[in-house]
Amino acid sequence: MNIAVLLKQVPDTTAKITISNGKVDENSVSKWSMSPYDEYALESGLKMKEATGGNLIAITCGPERTKKMLTDAAAVGADTLIHISEDKVLDSTQVQNLLATVINNNEIEVVLCGKQAADTNAGSTGPGVAEILDAACVTMVSEVSFSENSFISVRPSNTGTEKVSTSGISVFTFDKGLSELRRPNVRGIMMAKKKVIETIKPEELGLGEDSDRIILQTQDSPAEKEPGQIFEGVGEIPTIVSKLRNEANVI
Amino acid sequence: MDYEALDFYEVDSLLSDEERMVRDMVRDWVDEEVIPNIENACREGIFPDEWRVALGEMGVLGAPLKGYDCPGLSYTAYGVICRELERGDSGLRSFASVQGSLAMYPIWDFGSEEQKMHYLPKMASGEWIGCFGLTEPDYGSNPGDMITKAEEMEDHYILNGAKMWITNGTMADLAVVWAKLDGVIRGFIVEKNDPGFSAPEMKGKHSLKASVTSELVFQDCKIPKDRILPGVKGLRGPFSCLNNARFGISWGAIGAAQACFYSAKDYALSRIQFDHPIASYQLVQNKLSWMLREITKAQLLAYHLGQKKDDGKWIPEHISLAKMNNVDIALEIARVARDIHGANGILDEYPVMRHMANLESVKTYEGTHDIHNLILGRHITGIQSFTREI
Repeated sequence: MNIAVLLKQVPDTTAKITISNGKVDENSVSKWSMSPYDEYALESGLKMKEATGGNLIAITCGPERTKKMLTDAAAVGADTLIHISEDKVLDSTQVQNLLATVINNNEIEVVLCGKQAADTNAGSTGPGVAEILDAACVTMVSEVSFSENSFISVRPSNTGTEKVSTSGISVFTFDKGLSELRRPNVRGIMMAKKKVIETIKPEELGLGEDSDRIILQTQDSPAEKEPGQIFEGVGEIPTIVSKLRNEANVI
Repeated sequence: MDYEALDFYEVDSLLSDEERMVRDMVRDWVDEEVIPNIENACREGIFPDEWRVALGEMGVLGAPLKGYDCPGLSYTAYGVICRELERGDSGLRSFASVQGSLAMYPIWDFGSEEQKMHYLPKMASGEWIGCFGLTEPDYGSNPGDMITKAEEMEDHYILNGAKMWITNGTMADLAVVWAKLDGVIRGFIVEKNDPGFSAPEMKGKHSLKASVTSELVFQDCKIPKDRILPGVKGLRGPFSCLNNARFGISWGAIGAAQACFYSAKDYALSRIQFDHPIASYQLVQNKLSWMLREITKAQLLAYHLGQKKDDGKWIPEHISLAKMNNVDIALEIARVARDIHGANGILDEYPVMRHMANLESVKTYEGTHDIHNLILGRHITGIQSFTREI
């Protein structure tokens, strides 16, 4: 079985983000990491690969730097690495189209990805790819397994959890699950070094120049938080109560 | 707050992709599993068994050794691993140094084919722990005069004597022991259940508290004939091991220094005295910039030595210089970092006092600071000054 994991490289959640000319300055990002929800998708893909003897294909779309993330995925067990090489920031629909084309070209039966990326938090990749592929889509899952020609996924419901069964090509978007993420080891790292990354240009996948439909106007830093106030002593209690009631509106 | 390793000259950009991946793997593990548990391990005086398992699973033990299921990394990668481990704690790095450089290496270099096949895979996986018995109560800097001796019997050897200051001793499954056979220093593999062998733990340390330190006692200890290391005679055996371990220490000390710098910088920026962060005062800035200067020099020294080691163009004196310098500055950095932390510096809420106490040991073991100076003195002048007739 061919299992695809869609990975996105994002600024590390601890990295400082600076804005210049109304856009996030990517050059100032000190550390890029795999989006955390994608890590759970990858872990689930590795488990499925081990259970079914399948082939795990890690796919990403982005500039040269994103190749490191594919090598990191290979270090924990990804078999095939596909890099859609694009320096420009594409809109969600374009990315979904590119990913769906690669998925179609590789006879993939199941697609795993994070429920959203830690940078844009748009959450559109999984459902968008499923729509193009005409695939079943289950979002916010914590685990997926394969048995008797169907995929069984677990997701939260308003009564606790629910099990969902899908057949045919299926897309699953992952929330943070219970599963512990595996660490790479030296052997995996040395094997990953030898893995060839297959690089594809968007043009080869049929993405034209005219397909920009969504344009990001500007980005801003969050508003500065007002400094806190410190009150000391019993005498201040009426002031605190009044402020909590009238200014903070919490009591 | 996430650890940001000081690397002012971006020396790590000279590492290979593979070496950087290994660095990140070990650094992440230290962040997640070591830093949250180290103070407890020190308080209880234990080396957590999970750490042994994890080091084996990551596959970093015996890093530069090739074949026999060993990692087969570069010496530079080995250095990077030591640095990242010692950023957590010198005791943790000591465990890895002893396992890889002092126990696996002599078997790998001087052992028989059978010994290599039997011991090395299980030691690389962390299943078996090794230790190294050279130092004796009365023979530290002068191991050549050791009194532990081996006698050859018809179908076995008998060992008698005692070793001291042996890292991993009590928890070890096997010990590589150096003893005199007919007056010549030879290496022997002693297993923990061999008759006449015991390894009581030494208690009461103020340093390397998360590391097990032991005595090794041999009382008519009987070992089979096939446990002698056939490939080496004389002090060259243990000294080859020490060269590799000292190489790792020259990198490891940088990790401890980086941890102290990181804590001192963070503390100085957040500690307010006289209405301003103490980082805004010239005396504190002077201390921080001195730390930066010394760490940067140490990094360049270690990196260059790593390249020389990987190219095979090194002499033991190169390693002496790096071990001596890098531990020396790391200890001084730990002391200055403690000073910047003020009274808070003595608490285990901060890592500085722990590193400081650890580095006092690191300065002394694997060739004391002074002995390394004498090694360099001999190299410069051609005159040895270790011993003389008085």
